[in-house]
Amino acid sequence: MNKFFLAIIAVAGLAFTSCSSEDDSLELSPCDNCFVDFEVPDSYVFTRNGASTVSFDGQTTRIKMGQELLSNFNIQTKTFDELNGMFAHIEGEVDFEETALNESDKSLRSKVAASADYFSTNATDQAIIRADLEGFISAQVADVYPNWEVAAAAGQAGQLADGESTRYVNANGLEYNQLFAKSLIGSLMTDQILNNYLSTAVLDEADNVANNDADVVEEGKDYTTMEHKWDEAYGYAYGLNADQANPNADLGADSFLNEYIERANADSDFEGIADDIFEAYKLGRAAIVAKDYDVRNAQAEIIKENISKVIAIRAIYYLQNGKTKLEGETPNVGGAFHALSEAYGFIYSLQFTRQPNSSEPYFSKEEVDAFLTQLLADGENGLWNVEAATLDAISEDIAAQFDFTVAEAAE
Amino acid sequence: MKKVIGALFIMTLVWACSSDSTAEEEVMIPEENEDVSFERSAMLINWADNIIIPSYAAFTADMDGLVNSFNTFKADVNESNLDALRASWLNAYKSWQHVEMFEIGPAETVGFQLNMNIYPTDNEKIDGFVTTGSYDLSLSSNRSAKGFPALDYLLNGLGDNDTDILAFYSGNDQEAYLQYTEDVLLDMQSLTATVVSDWTNGYRDTFVANDGASSTASVDRMVNDYIFYYEKYLRAGKMGIPLGVFSGSTLPRNVEAYYEGTISNDLFLEALTAVQDFFNGKHFNSSEEGESLASYLDALNTLKNGEDLSALLNDQFNTAENMILDLSAFRSEIENNNPPTSMLLAYDEVQKAVPMLKVDMVSAMSISIDFVDADGD
Repeated sequence: MNKFFLAIIAVAGLAFTSCSSEDDSLELSPCDNCFVDFEVPDSYVFTRNGASTVSFDGQTTRIKMGQELLSNFNIQTKTFDELNGMFAHIEGEVDFEETALNESDKSLRSKVAASADYFSTNATDQAIIRADLEGFISAQVADVYPNWEVAAAAGQAGQLADGESTRYVNANGLEYNQLFAKSLIGSLMTDQILNNYLSTAVLDEADNVANNDADVVEEGKDYTTMEHKWDEAYGYAYGLNADQANPNADLGADSFLNEYIERANADSDFEGIADDIFEAYKLGRAAIVAKDYDVRNAQAEIIKENISKVIAIRAIYYLQNGKTKLEGETPNVGGAFHALSEAYGFIYSLQFTRQPNSSEPYFSKEEVDAFLTQLLADGENGLWNVEAATLDAISEDIAAQFDFTVAEAAE
Repeated sequence: MKKVIGALFIMTLVWACSSDSTAEEEVMIPEENEDVSFERSAMLINWADNIIIPSYAAFTADMDGLVNSFNTFKADVNESNLDALRASWLNAYKSWQHVEMFEIGPAETVGFQLNMNIYPTDNEKIDGFVTTGSYDLSLSSNRSAKGFPALDYLLNGLGDNDTDILAFYSGNDQEAYLQYTEDVLLDMQSLTATVVSDWTNGYRDTFVANDGASSTASVDRMVNDYIFYYEKYLRAGKMGIPLGVFSGSTLPRNVEAYYEGTISNDLFLEALTAVQDFFNGKHFNSSEEGESLASYLDALNTLKNGEDLSALLNDQFNTAENMILDLSAFRSEIENNNPPTSMLLAYDEVQKAVPMLKVDMVSAMSISIDFVDADGD
């Protein structure tokens, strides 16, 4: 316990220490790059003529839409149109409790599988992926809601006990709210960050470099386009944190990427990953201000690698967690299916990861589809038949592409 | 969810700080266990044969008595039969406090604890079920509409006084109320029968035979379940949550037996006695003691700051018990005092046993704690 306490202090301390002090204490961190000839602030605060240049309202709005959709997913009186309205919002429609969301012209669906690098010339997969997400919603309404007051069994949708909770699953034991939420982490947040806003195709588009070099701001704004693109990448990770300049102070502020950066970081094998991500965001943004695009690009690669890692760590964690819950004298089937449904979504999200210094994800769409087929193919009823060997095999295959082991991710 | 995490985080800090501040504390465990002769199997046999199975047998009898009282009430709805039914309910509820902690094996399989005693009960859901007559009490989503807390509502909470309550059982909806109450009782009786029959037809031998020392051995699992029960259901459920320790504001609605209103401290004391008796290996309904966690600690010669840990734990249980004996019913303590200082002070004494069990005792026994704050989402 004391050790744990010290770890908390260490993490909390890191969040508040400046870059320069970390140089003395940490061997390996993005701050190896701190020996730069420009100023790097202690927190994510950037100004021009006294006014903040940081803005990512659109990202905050979309994360809030996701939160509200998620909180309605397990209300069995909802209709498909009500839920899908939150997914594919149209400006002015009354889809949300929050007025500002209803007035927004943003929607979740329009940014799903919509990155410049992966989908600008891949409308086919884009359409398939959007249909997958919508399919989770429609199947929840069509298959699970009618069986709300039914006990689930192999081939029968319904409810399962998981400790004090009750889980609602389809005939294969899958929980659609988990599939939706965890798939959205990849198809929206991760894809937009790694393959869109941190891409040179977006950062350096058109006259962005020349304008940034000359401090030409967008019309009516205090930021250059390049600064804003970087901030939008930041917003998909930290859009709901209370202090958006120091997001690691309350990491876990949403149910999407932010929460799972926190979870990965809480595993002692990956302690510091949250700080690595934040420091790279901050340094990269400072590099844009300093017009140092090499340092900027190096930070983008660090972010790509680490956010990809978070997805993979959580996929393996839930596969192993599900396996453990199915073992023993009194298996917790509801708990296992809940975990494996989370795993399903994180595996789905692997196709949106990005290997650093590469144009490729860690796993292609075909490979991801094969994993998901494998997960449900041990028998006729999906998770009801899943075998430990299958969960281990998928875990090992995922870990093999990264620099950590299944055991490290499983804790 | 976030609030829970926040609270746990703060709790972790507070706990860690408090153990930090007494950094000189030492738990003395003999370096080599070669001199220790303690038979884990003898403890398992004592637990199974002298505590667990007799406690279940007594509970079964009290459940049967409760059903009998209901049948009398059903045949003749009147105030004296209602009083008798309530007395049987209280008797069985107290008896329940002696088996609630054994969430292992057959009980764990059926989710006995959560099926019998989730509170606060969902009175609106119960009203709806009575009205529609359409419900499946085996579903986990309906656990908040059955068990002892549902009976509390049905016997004590339907109206402000006995006349009003009796009116529900003799008016137009008489059949519906009697039927629902009966279904709740039969569900409890049937779950109990399943658990008890599994214990006596096989699980007892499995439990006793699994006498090793590993995370799946009976002792390790029972100790985990015991501490989990103490921390979560006794300390937090029966006191801490209604006191607002975890939420920041008091929640009187969350006391055990809220509608009856005066017995939550009696139920707590019953549960605390059961916990202490189990610790000491005291045979059910007898003063005789057998091999136990206490005798195990003594065999290991476990000292904390030079004092016998088993004696320290018994002292702590006794201190907590005495503090609670001085309290009024929990509901009135919480509703009539702001903050409910006396009850908070008693809670602190209940809490003090947690690190002694969860840190000192398990490290002496080389048992690892397997429960963590669950996923929760």
